[in-house]
Amino acid sequence: MRAILVDVTRCTGCERCVDACAETKGIDPLKVQLDRLISGDGLSKNRLLSVPQVATGRFARMSCMHCLEPSCVSACLVGGITKTPDGPVVYDPEKCIGCRYCMLACPFHIPRYEWGETIPFMVKCDMCADRQTHGLAPACVEACPHEALQFGDRDALLREAHELIAHGHGAYLPRVWGEHELGGTSVLYISDVDLGAMGWPGPRTAPIPSLTEPLIAKTPFIGLSVAAGLLGIHWVIRRRMRLAGEASAGADGQEPIGVGDDGMSNAEENR
Amino acid sequence: MNGRTRALKDVLWVLALAGLVAGTFRLWFGLGATTNLSDAVPWGLWKILNMVAGVAISTSGFTMGFLVYVLGLERYRPLVKPAILVAFLGYGCSCLALLFDIGLPWRFWHPFLMWNEHSFLFEVFWCVALYFTVTAIELAPTIFEKLNAEKAARILHRIAFWVVVVGISLSSLHHSSLGSLFLVTPHRLHPLWYSPLLPLLFILSAMGGGLMFLVLVRILHAHWYDRKAVFGPTQVERELILIRSATRGDHARAREVGRDMPMLTGVATIATGILAVYLALEIYHLSHAEPWRALVAGTWESWLFGAELLVTAVLPILLVWLPAARSSPAASTVAALSASAGLLLNRVDVGIFGYIRSAGEVYFPSLAEWALSLGVVAAAALVFLAFVEHTPIFAPPPKTRTERPAFKVSFDSLSGVWHRALSSGPERATLIAVLVVPLAWACMYPPYSRTHPAEVREASRMDVTADRLRLDGNREGVLTEFPHAACQERLGGESSCESCHHMSLPGDTTTPCTRCHRHMTAQTLIFDHAYHIQAVADSLGLEGLHASNHSCVSCHAAGSAKTAATATPCVECHGEWREVCDDGSKDLARATSYLEALHGTCLACHEEEAEKQHRPELRECSTCHTSLTPRGIPVSALARRQ
Repeated sequence: MRAILVDVTRCTGCERCVDACAETKGIDPLKVQLDRLISGDGLSKNRLLSVPQVATGRFARMSCMHCLEPSCVSACLVGGITKTPDGPVVYDPEKCIGCRYCMLACPFHIPRYEWGETIPFMVKCDMCADRQTHGLAPACVEACPHEALQFGDRDALLREAHELIAHGHGAYLPRVWGEHELGGTSVLYISDVDLGAMGWPGPRTAPIPSLTEPLIAKTPFIGLSVAAGLLGIHWVIRRRMRLAGEASAGADGQEPIGVGDDGMSNAEENR
Repeated sequence: MNGRTRALKDVLWVLALAGLVAGTFRLWFGLGATTNLSDAVPWGLWKILNMVAGVAISTSGFTMGFLVYVLGLERYRPLVKPAILVAFLGYGCSCLALLFDIGLPWRFWHPFLMWNEHSFLFEVFWCVALYFTVTAIELAPTIFEKLNAEKAARILHRIAFWVVVVGISLSSLHHSSLGSLFLVTPHRLHPLWYSPLLPLLFILSAMGGGLMFLVLVRILHAHWYDRKAVFGPTQVERELILIRSATRGDHARAREVGRDMPMLTGVATIATGILAVYLALEIYHLSHAEPWRALVAGTWESWLFGAELLVTAVLPILLVWLPAARSSPAASTVAALSASAGLLLNRVDVGIFGYIRSAGEVYFPSLAEWALSLGVVAAAALVFLAFVEHTPIFAPPPKTRTERPAFKVSFDSLSGVWHRALSSGPERATLIAVLVVPLAWACMYPPYSRTHPAEVREASRMDVTADRLRLDGNREGVLTEFPHAACQERLGGESSCESCHHMSLPGDTTTPCTRCHRHMTAQTLIFDHAYHIQAVADSLGLEGLHASNHSCVSCHAAGSAKTAATATPCVECHGEWREVCDDGSKDLARATSYLEALHGTCLACHEEEAEKQHRPELRECSTCHTSLTPRGIPVSALARRQ
C-alpha cells in the first residue's frame, strides 16, 4: 500500500505540483491558472489538485485523499470507483452513469464534475496510477522543489512521520492527519498548524462505509422477513374471518360471508 | 368535463409543455448550462424533489395494498385502484426526471449489469425498478378491463395477492434506503436532519404522508368530478333539506357529508397514527445532544425544522384526532394538504437545505430545473386525469363525458374557429402548445437564462488578453481594474514588458504574479533547492555516481551547518539579479509579498508621473482601488480626472 506524505511546514504553495499534474494529464496550463482564480478551493475539472492556504503562510497539497475505506467506492452504484491494492482510488468513466452520488458521499468535497460538457464525467486525482504501474512516483511528488511531498510505502511513511514529529522538537503538531481519520487515508499530512480548514474530521472518526455497509448487508433478510411476516398476518386474518363466517353461518343457517373475489381466496385454496 | 377541469388541464398542459422544452434544452446543452447545480451542490431539485420526495409521496400503492389485501380491511377497497395509479405515476415521474438528471442518460441500464451491492443507491435503483414493474402489473387489470381483454385481466387478478406481497417487501426496503442514501454524509448534512435513524424516519413519514396524499387525491378528484361523494350536498341542497326537515326537527341530515367521507377519515386516522410514531421518533432523535444543540441554536435551520415538524405531523394529527374537526371535509383537506406538503418539505430539507451550510453555497434551482420538475409532475397529472375519465378508477365510475359539440363552424366565421379550438381537447392542447413552446423557449434558452460559472470562466479568460485586467490579490473577490494596455502604451509598447515583468521564469510570459508572490502580506520561499543541487552539479561538472551529492559545499561552506543562513547569497552567482535586490539585503530565495510586489512595481512610476503631469490624484490609492474613497484630493483635481 503506497501513500504520499505531505510536510506542510516545507510547502511554499508554489503549485509546481499542480502544473506537473496538468502536464501529465494533458490539460491546458492556461485553464489551470485561470481556474484557480474562479474556483473557491482551487479544485476544478482542470485542477485535480490544488494548494490552498491552510493558515497564514502555510499551504497544503489538497486532492483526493485515497481513503483506505473510501466512501465514494462504497457509494458508486455501478462500481465505477475502485480502491486498488497499491493505494490509488481510481475511476472508470466507462461505467459511470453520472449520478454524482460520489460527489455527495466524499467527506472532503473532492470529486469535480464536467458541468460545462454535454457528455460529462467525474474528475479526480488518481494518484497517477498508470505512472505507478511503470514504477514512477506521482507527477506532483516528482515535481515538488521543496521536498514537501514524499511517496512510498504507507507504513514506512507513517514511521517516518512519527520520527519527524518525535525528533522535531515541537516543529510539528503531534498528529499525523490521515493515519486514523475515517479509517485512514493514503495521503498523510504532518504540520505545525491545525488542518481543520481542509475539512479533516476528528482524529478517531469511523470510516463512512462502516455506517452503511452493515445496514445494507441486512437488506435481503429484511425483505424476506417482511414478506414472511405479511404471509403470516394474512394467514391469521383469513383464518379468523373464515371461522367467524362459519360461526355466524352455524348460528343463522346462512351462507358464510364471502371473502373477496380476487386473489386472496385463490391463494388460500392453493395453500 | 366541466369548465373547472378544463382550466386545470390547461394549466397542466402549459407546465408539461414548458417541461418538454426544458428537457430538450437539458439534453442538448448539458447539465451545467441548464441547471444551477455545482461541485458544491451536486444533487438538486430533480433528484431530491422528483426522485426522493416523489417516490415518498407515492407510498399509498403499497400501504393500501397492505390494508386491503393483507389485513383484509375491505372497506378501503375503493381506494386501492387510485393508490396503485398514484404509485405508478409517482414512480414514473421519478424515473423520468432521473433520466434527465443523470449525466449520461443513455447509460441508465448500467446498474442492471454492473453491480455494487454495497451501495444504497444500487439497492434503491433495483427496488424502484422492480416496484415500478409491480405497480405496472397491478395497474394492468384496469387497462385490460377497459380493452375488454377479460382473460388477461383474470390471470392478473389471480396473482394479485402475490404481486402485492412482493410490492410491499420491495417498498419496505427502498423507502428506508432512500433515507440511508444520506447516511454517507455525517460530516456534511446538518445535524438536525442527519440521524442514524434516517431509514426509519423516511419509511414512517413516507407511509403516513403517502396515505394522506391519497386522501388529498381523493378529495381533489371529488372537487373536480364528483363533489357529492366527499363534500355531501351542496349549500343550496342543504338549505332545501333544512327547510324540508325543519318541520320534523331533523337537523342532522343537513350536516351530512359525502358517502366516502368515513372511509377517508379512516385512512387519515391510520395515516396520522403512523405520523404520530414518526413524530415520537423525531422527538427521540432531538433528545440526542447534537441535534438538540442545533435546534436551540436558533439558526434558520432550527426554525425550518420546527416548521417542518409542525406541518408534517403535528397539524395533521390535531386536525384528524380532534373530534370537532374529525369528520369535516374541510379539515380533512387541510390535514391531507399539510401532511403531503410537509413530507415534500422534509425530503427537500434533508436533500437540499441541510447541505447549504456545509456547501457554503446557496442553491436555487434554475428556471429550466423548475420547468422540468413541475412539467413531469403535470404530465403525470394529465395521465391521471385521462385514467379518471376513461376507466373506473374511482368507484362508482364518474359521469360519462359530455358529447362534443357537433362541427358547426363555417369558414367565414372566425369566432367559430376560436370556439371550436377552445372547447375541444386536442385542438385546445395544440393551441396551448403553439403559445407555450416558443415562450418557454425564449425564457429558458440557456445562453440567456442564467450566468453559469462556466461562462464567468470564459469571461475571465478573455480578460488575460484584454486591455483591462482584473486583479484579485487577496482572492476575496474585490477586484482592482488594471488598464494593462494603457500602461503598456505609455511605457513604450511591446518592448516595455520588462520594465514591470521581471520574467523570473525563463521564457514564460503568462506567469501570474501570484505564482511567486503568493501571500498578500508575507514573503514566500521560492528557492528551488532540488533544482539548484542538480544545476550546480551540472555547471561545475562534478564527477561520480551521484554528482549532486558533492554540490553542497559550493553554497554551504564546508564545516558549517547546512542552513539557509550560512548559504552563499544568491547574487554571488546570479549577478544579473543585483538590480532586483539593489540594497543587497533582500534575499532572492524569497518572493516579496503580493502587496509589496505590485505596489513596488506601480507606485514609483505613479509618483513620478504625478509630479511630471501635475496630477496629484495619481498618487491616491483610489486611482487603482476604485472601491476606496479618494482622500485629500482637491475637488478640482477630481473633476479634471473625469
